[in-house]
This record gives sequence, structure tokens and C-alpha cells, in this order.
Amino acid sequence: MSVTRYFSNIFGVGKSIVIGMSITMKYFVESLLFKKHTVTVQYPREMDAIPERHRGIHYLETEKCIMCWKCSDICPVDCIYIEGVRGADGVLKDGWRGKKATLSKFTVDYTVCIFCGLCEEPCPPLCIHLGPEFDYHSTDRKLMEKNLLTDAVYTEDDEKFVQWARDENVRLIDETKAKKAAARAAKAAAAEQEKDD
Amino acid sequence: MNSPLFIALDVNHGTLPAANGANYFENLFVSVFGYSTAGTVLGAGLAMFLACLAVFGFVNVFALFAVWLERKVSAHMQCRLGPMEVGPHGVLQTIADGVKLTVKEDIIPKVADKPLFIIAPAIVFAGTFIRFVPLPFSQYATAADLNLGLFFIASVGSVEVLGVIMAGWSSNNKWSLLGTIRTATQMVSYEIPIGIAFVTVAVSAGSLSLNEIVGQQEGWFFNWFVFRNPFLMTVSIVYLIAALAECKRSPFDLPEAESELVSGFHTEYSGIRFALFFLAEYAAMYIVSAVAVVIFLGGWWSGIPAIDQIGMGQGASTFEVVLGILIKAHVLIGKAIGIVFVQMWIRWTLPRVRLDQMMYLCWKVLLPISLVCLVGSAMWDLAMGAFADSNEYFLFFIPK
Repeated sequence: MSVTRYFSNIFGVGKSIVIGMSITMKYFVESLLFKKHTVTVQYPREMDAIPERHRGIHYLETEKCIMCWKCSDICPVDCIYIEGVRGADGVLKDGWRGKKATLSKFTVDYTVCIFCGLCEEPCPPLCIHLGPEFDYHSTDRKLMEKNLLTDAVYTEDDEKFVQWARDENVRLIDETKAKKAAARAAKAAAAEQEKDD
Repeated sequence: MNSPLFIALDVNHGTLPAANGANYFENLFVSVFGYSTAGTVLGAGLAMFLACLAVFGFVNVFALFAVWLERKVSAHMQCRLGPMEVGPHGVLQTIADGVKLTVKEDIIPKVADKPLFIIAPAIVFAGTFIRFVPLPFSQYATAADLNLGLFFIASVGSVEVLGVIMAGWSSNNKWSLLGTIRTATQMVSYEIPIGIAFVTVAVSAGSLSLNEIVGQQEGWFFNWFVFRNPFLMTVSIVYLIAALAECKRSPFDLPEAESELVSGFHTEYSGIRFALFFLAEYAAMYIVSAVAVVIFLGGWWSGIPAIDQIGMGQGASTFEVVLGILIKAHVLIGKAIGIVFVQMWIRWTLPRVRLDQMMYLCWKVLLPISLVCLVGSAMWDLAMGAFADSNEYFLFFIPK
């Protein structure tokens, strides 16, 4: 290595170090004093804008729902559970009123859900949506099921209500059947009496 | 005067009137322990213990601060924010990390050489810590004003290499061993430019005592040794580069190159032992910076005589003396933190050099340059001394 190259090498290294260090100093000062460049978002206190078509936690427009089960059927992971009574004047009167149905349960299990958005597609009244919310968390996997009817975690009280609604429904159906049978029996008896006469 | 007191009882050194700082502490000392031999020995022992405790406390607090500073500096240079959660702007983050490190499980590998493995971090830390002995923190505030202070710092620093070699060898791990070999190569090589830089300063100052060297830089900032002649200015840059390598910091962090060697010689260490290595690294950073300040950047002199003169005059009260000592401590430690910042700045700018580049830099660039500077500086002082006292000159050779 010639003497010229030796010194030009040292000079070149020094020059590039000065250039590099001036760049980092520029960024340091601008980031520290003028809050430029900084890309970090202090999440729980501040948040980035959520995109309009973000697929997050579901929400349901209960009064529009007709309880057609299409969302539940198309769900690739089967995480939507629906119970209730179809028909505008269902047997069950104490649930959440839909357009032509009375709902007692409409939950999504977020331990399973893959946020594919397929449930939105086939809904005839367009009432189930994937919303902008994304932080759904709990310390227990049992609490990862969300009740879309109350917009809260699906709790044991909800479970009791669903159980009650199920029993009540069966009871009402049986009652109706018994009434009909009794009516039919009465009608038959009346017809027979007429025949006898 | 080799007093072990943290505030050295050094009456002969300065030109102090009777009611001044050093005498104040001597009087206090005598009034508590009396003139008896037993009392003096006991007092000296207690003073030694207190000095140790004070320096140890300083090292810990500085390490906590420096780790936080490093994380903040790196974050802002990379468009991030760094620690923000623990305390305002994350100032207590390092305390939380320290607690975490102390309560972590202390793992000793099965195949490790257990005694060496346990003793290695202690030796590394002791090798760093002992270098604080001759280091001044302010005027009259030295653990012991050795008349061979510069030599002591250079020689005792080599003990650290032993600890690192022990750590890497006893870990029985190929990454550790490779890191250790690199460390030994690097630290032994870079001691030579550092030694020659020290000799250059010693030739100009005519003394190896750190307090004596600082004493010669009194007055305006152009009396500092960096501005004394161009050779000393060059050698100060050589010292800064070599000190970076001596601290094993980027761009010379080959011993712990994360991308190649996992973590180098401390790969197998965890918990409190790892914390000791960490502490030693930051203590070493402070030491090389403080030594650079003392031998090149005027030590505790702020560069403005009006500030330096507080508490120095004949009729200064005790309050003024203590105030002056505190101001000088702030100046010295502030300058040292400035150089620590420069080290961090370099770390987050430059990529790591290759092993052969590192050796080339040491043996073919820094060593010849520092040797030229040693001869040149001596010749310069000789030539200038023939005309006048070199303190008569403003910036190299322009007369005041």
C-alpha cells in the first residue's frame, strides 16, 4: 500500500464517520426537541386511525336480524351460536326482538374466530358487521365469548337465561300442542255427539 | 500525600488558607478521633470504607443513569421513543430492570468450571472499580491522590482482561471462547495506543499525578491540554478511539458481536452475575471518559476563570469552598457524561468493524500516529519553551 493510499484511506474513513454521525445527530435533535420523525405510538393512551374497512370485533343490529342462520352456516370455523324462535310472533316472547324472530342467544367465540368477514356477506338484512374494535381480551378463555345481543361478555347469567328460554320454549310448544290436541279431541267428541244425535 | 479519605486531606497540595475545605475536614477528623495512633488508624479505616462506599454508590447511580441515557439516545436516533412507562420518560426503568436481574435465577452450566465461573464477574468488576482510586471527582475529592495515578489506571485496567478470559474459558461454550479470544486480542492491543497517549500527556505535564495534571490546566479553556499543541489534539482523538475499543463498545464490540457470537464471553451468565458485567461496562465507560476529561479537557476547570475562582481566594468562607468544590464536581462529571454521550453516539452510528480491520486500525494507524505525536509534542514543548512559557500562547502558537 502506497503512502498516498494509506493517508487517503484514513481521511476517507474520517470523512464518512463525520457524515454518518451528523446524520444521527440531526435525527436525534429533531426527534428529541421537535418531535419529528418519531413513529412510536403510545398505544393505550393514543391510537393510530383505524382503517374504514378494518375487520375487528363483531357488532349486530338486533332489530334487523331475521334469524336465518346464514352467518352461522357460512362460518368456516363455526364460531357463531344462535338460538331463539323464528316468526314475527314466536312462541318465546321474552327475548330480543328481531324483524321476524325472537332471539335468546347470539354469540361469537373469539378463541375460534378468524375475522375472515364471511359472515357479513350472505346476511339478507345486512345486520352483522365486523367493527373497528380490536382489543378483546380476558384472563380466562371462558370469557372470550361475546354476547352480540348485549354487546358484552357472555356470562353465566346469560347462559341461565338461554337455558330458561330453551325450557320455556319447549314448555310453550308442548302447551300449544296439548291445547290443539284438546281442541281436536273436543271437536271430535262434538262431531261424534252430532253423529249420535 | 496518599490519604485514603474521599475528601483528601491534602494541605500541601493546594495553596489553601487555614479555614478552607481540606483543613475543615482535617479539623473535623481530628476533633472526632483525636491525635492518638489508635484513633487515627480507626479513622483511616473508616475513611477508607466510606470512600469505597461513596465510589461504589457513584458507580451504581451512574450505571443506572447511563443505561437509561443509552436507551433514550439510541431510541431518538432511530425515530423511536425508548422507555416511557416507568416514571416520567422512563427514568426509573433501569431500577426496575436491576430488580428483575437480581431476582432472576442464577444459572451455572453443568459443564462449567464452577469456581472460575463464579469469580470471573467479580474480577471484571474489581478490575474496573479499582481504577476509580486515583480518579479525581473534584478539587480535593480524590480517593487517593497517587503520584503515579495515570500509570496506575493504565496498568490496573489490564486486570479486567483476566476476568474476561476466565469468564469465557470457564463457560465451556464455543461462543464464549471465541468472544474471549477476540477480547484478549483487542484489549491487549489497544492498551498500547492508550499507554502512548498517557506518556504524551505525561511528557507535557511533567507529572503522572492526575491532580497535578489538572492543576496545570487552570485558567481559560485554551490552557487545556487538547489545545496546547496540535499533537496533543491528535493524540486525544487516538485516545478516544482506543478507549472505545478498551471498553469493548461498538464499533469495536467484537467480543460480544450479537450477530455472530450470541453474546460473547457472557453468553452463559444470567441474573446478578450478568448485572455485574453490565455494571463493569458502564463503569469502564465513565472511567475512560473521566480520564479523557482529566488529561485533555481540563478536568474540573470549567474554562472560565470567574467560575473556577469561587472558593479559591484567601478570605473564602467554608460555604464558598464547599460551593466551589460542588461546582467543580459538576463540571468534571458533566464533561465526562458528555464524552459518554459521544461514545453512545458513535455506537448508534457506526457498524461493527471486522477483526482484521480492528487490528489494522490499532497497529498500523493508531500506534504510528500516537508515536509521531509523542515525539512531536515533546519537540513542540521544547521549542516553545525556548521562547516562553507555553501558557503564553492562545491556541497552539498564536500569542495572547
